[in-house]
Amino acid sequence: MSAIALWGAVELGLIFGFVALGVYLAFRVLDFPDLTVDGSFPLGAAVAAVAISAGVDPWTSLIIAAICGAACGLVTAFLNVRFGILNLLASILTMIALFSVNLRVMGRPNMSLLNRDTIISPFYDLGIPDHIVRPLVLFVLVVIAVLLLARFLASDFGLAMRAAGANARMAQANGVNVGGQIYVGMVLSNGLTGLAGALFAQIAGFADVTSGVGTIVVGLASVIVGETLFRSRSMLVALFACVIGSVVYRVAVQLALSADFLFLKASDLNLVTAVLVTLALILPKLKARRRAA
Amino acid sequence: MIAAENLHVTFNPGTPLERKALRGINVTLHDGEFVTVIGSNGAGKSTLLGAIAGDVTPQKGVIRVGADDVTREKPSARAKRVARVFQDPLAGSCADLSIEENLALAAARGSRRGFGLALQASRRAKFRDRVAELGLGLENRMGDRMGLLSGGQRQALSLVMATLAEAKVLLLDEHTAALDPGMAEFVANLTEKLVKQHGLTTLMVTHSMRQALDHGTRTVMLHEGQVVLDIAGDRRHTMKVDDLVEMFRKVRGGAELDDDALRIG
Repeated sequence: MSAIALWGAVELGLIFGFVALGVYLAFRVLDFPDLTVDGSFPLGAAVAAVAISAGVDPWTSLIIAAICGAACGLVTAFLNVRFGILNLLASILTMIALFSVNLRVMGRPNMSLLNRDTIISPFYDLGIPDHIVRPLVLFVLVVIAVLLLARFLASDFGLAMRAAGANARMAQANGVNVGGQIYVGMVLSNGLTGLAGALFAQIAGFADVTSGVGTIVVGLASVIVGETLFRSRSMLVALFACVIGSVVYRVAVQLALSADFLFLKASDLNLVTAVLVTLALILPKLKARRRAA
Repeated sequence: MIAAENLHVTFNPGTPLERKALRGINVTLHDGEFVTVIGSNGAGKSTLLGAIAGDVTPQKGVIRVGADDVTREKPSARAKRVARVFQDPLAGSCADLSIEENLALAAARGSRRGFGLALQASRRAKFRDRVAELGLGLENRMGDRMGLLSGGQRQALSLVMATLAEAKVLLLDEHTAALDPGMAEFVANLTEKLVKQHGLTTLMVTHSMRQALDHGTRTVMLHEGQVVLDIAGDRRHTMKVDDLVEMFRKVRGGAELDDDALRIG
């Protein structure tokens, strides 16, 4: 594997680090299996692509994309909290609907952003090689996100969110509005995913309605890899672990794809991911069974 | 003052599983009273507690806290006046959060939760002092996960959590039932101490007649969703467990006491 390919994998890992943070918030903090991200990721990409094509500043396009992603989370939370639709099903409904919405937003299945200014453009003049500048900028952004999220989860409000996910009855008895926490959590989670979609569109140079397929599995894979690498009670470590998990996952996939003896093609990625995540979910159970035996 | 007026609760109404848990019950707790509630399984003890806490919405009747009608208020909204300890030690705290995080969560009951740090130094010191008062040595394990503690330790901490923020009423739902005898007694005595210290109006459901008479200032017996006995003062002081068992037998129409339903000792 070439150095450029390695840096490319790191870059992609950092972009999906935002997704991993969102998935962690939904799955681990709120205990809400949320598939909305498969729709909010391409929505973020679509919104950013359309905005930048229309001459909107790249940074502003990130904010708009994050807000659009957050709105998706709001819809899923609304279906679940207000109407009692099963959380998983509520998120699938939003995800399916978003496929149509994304096509409407772009007006076509994909859109190129090549030769457009992105948030990275100003940094290309620093004299650092392009393939290193990109991950560097992304690294700074994702660290900021981790620090903000860790601080949020350490607040009274954030603690209430963790309790709402861990023990809803106890949270309620202590005056926590569990429904309200689900709203805020889903908004944050999908806002992060929308932001990731927008970053992806800017850096990859295109937006595609199918780019959301499997976002949730990749996010979950990152969270699981992170948890396996870093076992800690500290929220800050757990959040950093998500991002590192995402990078490690991408590098591992890149290694697998570039290893000729494995006969893997880029199109095998989804299968490889599904197998990896399945193994990661099964292994702890097998280990526990062996210990019990 | 907490009052349940003409409270009716029926589960699964209109179905073969219909069960009338409360049938026009009237109970008033005056400020500072510590009422113990006894009755056999299905008498409506837990339903009464659930109705006051907001878990159960009555078909008929009113629940008042002070002068306010709270009958339709959600449990989370009611929490600013109602503190609770559950029967299941796992139910009253978050296993994945640390001891001090659990305490911080409970300390904010009834107040707006903002974005300030939950574990500020001043709060941590206060939590530590409160936990040290238990004498269980837990003040040195404030950062430990709640899930690492025994049922008794968790119940003791649940009591501390329930008394961190101000409340109009403390609801205890057989909170010693899941503990071994030694720990049950410790938690019962701790309850008595904390209730006195904070001057809390308390409603304690218990399966044990001994506990019902030993603790609190007034005892209420429920049967089939109604109050069948309500004693306080001298009459209660002179009452022995045997007398209570006799009354219980009378209420049930002379039926033999079901040992499973009621622990006498």
